[in-house]
Amino acid sequence: MHITLVKKIKADGSPCRKCAEVVDRLERSQLLGRIDRVVVADERDPDSEGMQLAGRYNVDWAPFFIVEDDSGGERIYTSFFRFLKEVLGQNPRQEEETTEMMRQNPDLDFL
Amino acid sequence: MLGCRQALIISIKDEHREGRAVDIEALANQYSSKTPEDILRLALESFDNVAISFSGAEDVVLVDMASRIQPDVRVFSLDTGRLHPETYRFLDRVRERYPIRFEALSPDAMAVERLVREKGLFSFYQDGHQECCGIRKVGPLRRRLQSLDAWVTGQRKDQSLATRATIAVVERDAAFSTPEHALVKFNPLANWTAAEVWDYIRSNDVPYNELHERGFVSIGCEPCTRAILPYQQEREGRWWWEDAADKECGLHKANVAVRRR
Ligand code: SF4
Repeated sequence: MHITLVKKIKADGSPCRKCAEVVDRLERSQLLGRIDRVVVADERDPDSEGMQLAGRYNVDWAPFFIVEDDSGGERIYTSFFRFLKEVLGQNPRQEEETTEMMRQNPDLDFL
Repeated sequence: MLGCRQALIISIKDEHREGRAVDIEALANQYSSKTPEDILRLALESFDNVAISFSGAEDVVLVDMASRIQPDVRVFSLDTGRLHPETYRFLDRVRERYPIRFEALSPDAMAVERLVREKGLFSFYQDGHQECCGIRKVGPLRRRLQSLDAWVTGQRKDQSLATRATIAVVERDAAFSTPEHALVKFNPLANWTAAEVWDYIRSNDVPYNELHERGFVSIGCEPCTRAILPYQQEREGRWWWEDAADKECGLHKANVAVRRR
């Protein structure tokens, strides 16, 4: 298995807060070593490798993960906690998942 | 001879029972210009396992309409523990007025305790509302929705240009469906304006939350809701301290459709 993490640099040059949180979470759980490659999607540069990957995989969310299995199949995860569960076999807390749901679904602001 | 609506309801029930996907897009097109009552009737008659989400605001019109169709309709509210006293009183008035089966859903106590222990009671003013809403609203809602096949919300297009402009009267719930469990969401008021909602409330003598009389339009939790001035956008009354730009995790130049796992 080969795992690529794509993280974002925002249009104003600052790092994306959510990406930093994800890297921090992986580090604290001693899982950062399971990530084979970290690639940057720089919003100021559409040719940056991360932006190219986002375009190729039709992803409009950062961070995201590209998981290649040994038979060459690829899966894309924009949900960090789903990635944690399905790929890294972790058991995240429910509130971590629900916070992510709120972030990824701004239309839930009707609740 | 079966009427069109009854035939449609039977076919939705069959598709659902047999585990076939209901063609939601076709249904949305077919019902896009129907009345809220028609859409509600479709929801309540096509799905046995359906409930209405009631926020304690003007979506009370859904409760009124639904109780005329199915008096013992299931209605739930998210009791975050942070609602205004006026809203709690209003929820109870609605519960007493209509013969509905009403439930107040509470958040996971341990999750709330952990949040408060680690970040205090007002963490949303610093960290944004997502974590607190995740615990107090999404957690209990997700738990409830797992046992339903469809739910009904009071969302309207005119409430927010940013997040509601394209909502359909019926849609597959993208946030809460899972590969194993398809959930259908009905938004019968999607095409109604605030004026139409209030016309209905007045003409039908529907009870309403007294906060509306004090300038509150959108009503949520007490610390996160404020009254607005005439001609302000409805959503300016919620989470007004948050910087819209900071909510974004999108990749702005990717210009691509969403594909998520
Ligand atoms: S609206 Fe405010 S108090 Fe209520 S759950 Fe969300 S962040 Fe918490």
